[in-house]
Amino acid sequence: MHKILVIEDDEVMPKIFQRILHKENYQLDHVVNGKEAIQKLEETNYGYDLIITDIMMPYANGFEILSRVKSRKEGKPIAVIIVSNAGNEDMILEGFKLGADDFLKKPVIPGELLIRVKRLLMQYQ
Amino acid sequence: MKTIPAFISATVDQFRYAPLVIQIAVIFTAVAVSMTAIAYISILLNRYRSHRREKKLAALHPLIDELLTEHILMNEELYTDEPVEATVPVGVFDKPIFEKKWARQVLIQRLMQYRDNVQGAMGDQLRSLYIQLGLDKDSLKKLKSSRWDHKIQALGELTNMDIPIADVIILPLTNSRNRELRATARHAYIKLSKNEPFKFFDVATEPLLLWDQVELFRIISTTDRISIPNFAQWITYSSNKSIIAFCLKLVEHYQQLSAVPAVVKLLDTRDHYLRANAINCLGKLRIESVEDKLMSMYDSQPHHCRTEILKAFGRISSGKQVDFLRQEFLHSSDFEIRKHAAKSLINNQWAASSLIQELVDTATRENKLILKHCMNPLIKF
Repeated sequence: MHKILVIEDDEVMPKIFQRILHKENYQLDHVVNGKEAIQKLEETNYGYDLIITDIMMPYANGFEILSRVKSRKEGKPIAVIIVSNAGNEDMILEGFKLGADDFLKKPVIPGELLIRVKRLLMQYQ
Repeated sequence: MKTIPAFISATVDQFRYAPLVIQIAVIFTAVAVSMTAIAYISILLNRYRSHRREKKLAALHPLIDELLTEHILMNEELYTDEPVEATVPVGVFDKPIFEKKWARQVLIQRLMQYRDNVQGAMGDQLRSLYIQLGLDKDSLKKLKSSRWDHKIQALGELTNMDIPIADVIILPLTNSRNRELRATARHAYIKLSKNEPFKFFDVATEPLLLWDQVELFRIISTTDRISIPNFAQWITYSSNKSIIAFCLKLVEHYQQLSAVPAVVKLLDTRDHYLRANAINCLGKLRIESVEDKLMSMYDSQPHHCRTEILKAFGRISSGKQVDFLRQEFLHSSDFEIRKHAAKSLINNQWAASSLIQELVDTATRENKLILKHCMNPLIKF
């Protein structure tokens, strides 16, 4: 079973992720800010297959999480999808420069999210 | 034993015959104590109200989430971007709780939150649900309320749900004297009116404040499928200076070369702030043909128009104004002018490399510092 970490401070979005991704039997963990995300990742020794993160969050933003995950030299690589409503060009480019595997702008199309998640998990298998 | 009326009467007598200073002190103390008491009571009341509200929400949110999850989020037919003909689950929301006004408002807010996060067929389904439950009527009713905060709330809801609003209702709001309502109405107008999103520029008499301009710009540049008009019409005919200034920024953003003649005409305006904006726009559009006009008007311009002309020469970078820039750099008595002349010279480096080298070799200590400063690509001004 694939493990996915959702980092999102919005109340509704994690519920939507949960429902969209439920039928593929993914195990979803949810944290609400960057600080909790870092704690969770360290506690589990980066034991996730995919991270879905927002950009604008308290304590540590999505870019900090992304650069921390992508700059790791040991352990298995983890795919990262940024899902944000901050869709300006600079932010998208910054995300990809830091190693993001995909960028989805809110509001998302559920089917598209599902396909992108599946594709990335297959790539990283 | 004294009775209460006797005690009050004795206190009043004491107060009446007390010295004036004491009377004033007593009044101040009484006012301060009552104000503090009122403040505490209102804080307590507000906390109690928000506690009750939280309790109600804590009970209602899971119910709404459950209904939306079961009937919309789990409907796999709605996972697509294409419109689908799925039945809107109106019946499941037919519960007594949703007849209450506050509960309907909570439902609207929740639907908006969901719409902020999903689009495509699922987003359309949420919109259909909003309409079929008659929640759009609640929003329209609020839009007609006399309270400006209700109107703002209604505009937010209708914009989020993409419900068109008649021009006769929304256009007057884009010109409201209330700053927040005016800004929200303008944002809503741009988002909802796909054919003529800038029509409110025609009727705008209240100024577009700088912060409004930033917000409008963000909305315009992030709204999909927005129809972009020729901004020359407002640059030429609008009597609202802030609208003209904003249109100049939009001309530059959309690189709208068809508006250039109107911008050039604006160089003759008597308002020197607008003139500076027009020069800035022409420079950023890199219109080489206006260089001679800018050159001929330079000496008669106020300081900020002069710096804009110098910057424009740097941005256009035609190489034709190198001698003029050199002269201003060496002989102007104003530091800002010298700084911008130097920066523009560096921007014309392709045509003036030997001149720049000569200036670096022969310049005074201060001039050399200015040149080095301008040559640093990390320093931008």
